[in-house]
Amino acid sequence: MTTLTAPAPTGNKPVISDRSRAENRLGQKLIAPAIVLMLLVTAFPMLRAIYLSVFDYSLTAPDDREFVGLSNYLTALTDPLFWQTTGITVLYMVVTVAVELVIGFIFAMVMHRVIFARGVIRTSILIPYGIVTVVSGFAWQFAFTSTNGFVNGWLPGISADFNWFGETNSAVIAIMVSEIWKTTPFMSLLLLAGLAQISEDMLEAAQVDGATWWQRLWKVIIPNMRAAIMVAVLFRALDAYRIFDNIFVMTNGAQKTESISFLTYRQTIEQFQLGMGSALSVLLFLSVLLVAFLIVRLFRVDLAAARQEG
Amino acid sequence: MNQPSQRAPRGAGRRRALVAGTALVTAAGLLSACGGDGKPTLHWYVNPDGVDTFETYAKECSTDDYDISVELLPSGATDQRVQLARRLAAEDSSTDLMNLDPVFVAEFANAEWLAEIPGDLATEITNSADGEGDYLAGAADTVIWEDKAFAIPLWANTQVLWYRKSLADAAGLDMTQPVTWEQVIQAAADNNGSVGVQANKYEAYMVLINALVQGAGGDIVSDTEAGRDTKVDIDSEAGREAAAIIKMLADSQAAQSDLSVSNEGTSLGRMFLKDANAPQGAGEFMLNWTFVYKFYQGQIDAPDGITQELFDDLGYARYPATVEGEASKPPIGGIDIGVGAYSANPEFAMEAAQCITSTQAQVDLALNNGLMPSTNSAYDEVAASGDFPEDLIELYRTSVDEGGPRPKSAFYALISSAIQARWHSPTSVDPGSTPKDSADYLQDVLEGKALL
Amino acid sequence: MKKLGVPIGVLVILVWCLLPVVWIISLSFKSEESVTAGNPGFLPSDGTNAGWDNYNKVLTDDLYDFFPRAIINSIGISLIATTLSVIVATLAAYAIARLEFKGKKLVLTMSLAIAMFPVVSLIGPLFDMWRTFGIYDTWLGLIIPYMSFTLPLAIWTLSAFFREIPWEMEQAAQVDGATSWQAFRKVIVPLAAPGVFTAAILTFFFAWNDFVFGISLTSTESARPIPASLAFFVGADPFNRPASLLAAAAVISTIPIIIIVLLFQRKIVAGLTSGAVKG
Repeated sequence: MTTLTAPAPTGNKPVISDRSRAENRLGQKLIAPAIVLMLLVTAFPMLRAIYLSVFDYSLTAPDDREFVGLSNYLTALTDPLFWQTTGITVLYMVVTVAVELVIGFIFAMVMHRVIFARGVIRTSILIPYGIVTVVSGFAWQFAFTSTNGFVNGWLPGISADFNWFGETNSAVIAIMVSEIWKTTPFMSLLLLAGLAQISEDMLEAAQVDGATWWQRLWKVIIPNMRAAIMVAVLFRALDAYRIFDNIFVMTNGAQKTESISFLTYRQTIEQFQLGMGSALSVLLFLSVLLVAFLIVRLFRVDLAAARQEG
Repeated sequence: MNQPSQRAPRGAGRRRALVAGTALVTAAGLLSACGGDGKPTLHWYVNPDGVDTFETYAKECSTDDYDISVELLPSGATDQRVQLARRLAAEDSSTDLMNLDPVFVAEFANAEWLAEIPGDLATEITNSADGEGDYLAGAADTVIWEDKAFAIPLWANTQVLWYRKSLADAAGLDMTQPVTWEQVIQAAADNNGSVGVQANKYEAYMVLINALVQGAGGDIVSDTEAGRDTKVDIDSEAGREAAAIIKMLADSQAAQSDLSVSNEGTSLGRMFLKDANAPQGAGEFMLNWTFVYKFYQGQIDAPDGITQELFDDLGYARYPATVEGEASKPPIGGIDIGVGAYSANPEFAMEAAQCITSTQAQVDLALNNGLMPSTNSAYDEVAASGDFPEDLIELYRTSVDEGGPRPKSAFYALISSAIQARWHSPTSVDPGSTPKDSADYLQDVLEGKALL
Repeated sequence: MKKLGVPIGVLVILVWCLLPVVWIISLSFKSEESVTAGNPGFLPSDGTNAGWDNYNKVLTDDLYDFFPRAIINSIGISLIATTLSVIVATLAAYAIARLEFKGKKLVLTMSLAIAMFPVVSLIGPLFDMWRTFGIYDTWLGLIIPYMSFTLPLAIWTLSAFFREIPWEMEQAAQVDGATSWQAFRKVIVPLAAPGVFTAAILTFFFAWNDFVFGISLTSTESARPIPASLAFFVGADPFNRPASLLAAAAVISTIPIIIIVLLFQRKIVAGLTSGAVKG
């Protein structure tokens, strides 16, 4: 590795081209293990999923595997359950990201301004970030139950034996609370980084010009944080779109709380329908791509500028 | 990874992967049971009821030829099926013995994942299914697929109606006579009591629906050996009777607040509430499995437990009738022991399976864990032990014998999930539409036209 | 108002972040029997404080021996996956930060794509592949996907760190007579170490948190990690999920996270924000 850093003779064209060829080779050698690993676990299985998705193939009857063309896709795309789970997934995504953006922004502002107890705040905000999602799911599930929880006792206007997991709306809220709690820290840290890049001079100038706090927020702070906000939204949105753990733990998909990831999981793992499950996997993959594409387009996030070569 | 030496040689590539995997795992200091003395270990996958007794019998039934080690499965029947099926689909040679919920025997046997039970024992089981053997007919029937026995019944479960005698008295309900669901719900609602059932979106809700439909003389599906061409019958008078009862319960004062997420455990605490004047404080009528008796017995004088006096107030009766005048069909459950088709030691495994299901083992399970036997001979011993009231033993035995099994189909998991999907939540059940919706949906699912 | 805003905000953050943690700790002290009977409220009601009973049971009772096993699995699998992933990522990140080569864009795009990949869509085919390779339900079967899915994060973080390193210093050291190995060890390693360390922590968090692979690619205690073990948690009464014991287990699984956070909070924050938002 280090041989390469020897002082380079300059001005000699053939040498440079030799060097750059060597550098090219070394670079490729160094990234090869990473590429192989990433492909082994993603590209290869994905290709296999595409292949399996055109079969009627059940794990319990592997010998009856039958080529069915695109009919798995057709069944899925014309099925109300597919659209219902997609709809609820989009709902999870939009609501949690929106709420997290607001809470995360407030947290970031506080952390940016605070001058005491920074370590304590940083520590406490990192605990939800580091905690296992399944644990968060259980903590909130038990908190919401009427038999052993505390939420019913604390919330005014809710009867003591209200069953949060007894209907879709309240169950979805419970799941969202767990999801929001667990992931807001990530959002607020990304926003904090963006906030740190706004120059104080600009803010002071605005203040001198008589801009109110509200005006400064909307005219100076937010426009200057655009890149940070967009990256945070993109990452969290794609993460939220894949929501699975909390649903598994809290409702196991009952009360129509099932997300598209959960539906796919059930087809492959619980129902052993590898053919249909693979078709759903492909559709899930494509829908993630679509969501990513829409966000990038809609908000014109410049990823390269935002995350790379800055 | 346990007995590589006893495996037929496989492709070199695969072995290399295995070796690499083993090496890495060993390096990490994980290797647990790769014993070097060449004595094979049979892996016995057990569901979590009665694990202590299973551990005992794993030791007891180990011989000079093999050891038996117990592996714990998750608690839900559906999760158990998933874990086992994935190992079996992988043709895992270390899946030797497994505890199977009866409803999955057909699917597993059909997938050729289970070794057929040989010889005399098979004859005994098949004869028992016709009422001419030691096994209870209801239990024996669960292990037969296409006229062959594919597992050995270990213990037979059934549900009975558990209730507070004081609550039934207050309602003036004569519990010596068969009672109906309507009477039970009414009695609880009018006397500050509740009715405990299992209505979360899981297998036991299917148990409830099936019992209600069969109690009205109907079936969810029939002609199940036809596989995907099975006949869907739930859109019938019986289906509507069943839906009407679920709706009645859901709309009633007697419904427990967590009805739509209730399971076998959630209603246990509602039998003996500390404050009798609290809402539903008078206790409950609870439909639940046989373990309940031992459970409350164990609570006597325990911290936060109950008194002997309260325990004496616990009554039991046959599963309520869906329709007045028609005998109820109590649910049948339990556990059958299957031998994995890919076991590296099939003879040993079959021998061990017989040891594990011996009369003595069944008696121990009943006495230690309240899990009732599958044979008449074991039942007689349990009755003789005096650990259970005689009338309770008789109630269990009749319930299993006259019970209504769930559909025996290679596509049972599909059928069950489809029914649950349309009948959950119980608060949304409507006799006018739910049976028809679920029939249409199940039909589509069986034909592969709808997602599950 | 202006003066009060920040302290109130601090208070809100602390309550928001820590309340559920305190809650699960409180739940873990409710006695098992009282939870079965119903014991609502934030703190254990009078006389139902079980002390360390639940923790003792979860860690030492034979009935729950699957849980200590899951702890070993989780620690082992996460540490191995983290180490390997960071090594592989360091190589790649070094190349990305320092070298010009064809395919640089490819790695970056690919790792970005993988960071967004819907994990669930892989488990079907992966399960199929793993059973063919014979690594289903083994440590290796989890280590490989954990490595693949932590690589993007590790590569991004590390390349951002590496780009900040003044590599000229190495040459300067060599000019001063150090061998290239010495220059690398004495100058570059100390500069790069914090970045590598941060990447390792973030990678460890990911592996520790994973659930989807944990439930799909294992079927026994031999490789089942903590999150999957919690989801399948069974107690003495199989029909009744022992909420307070589960809570005790959940608290135990959170301890490593809390320790890491307490020790390295500054580094973690730097790691999460570095590379994430530049320009």
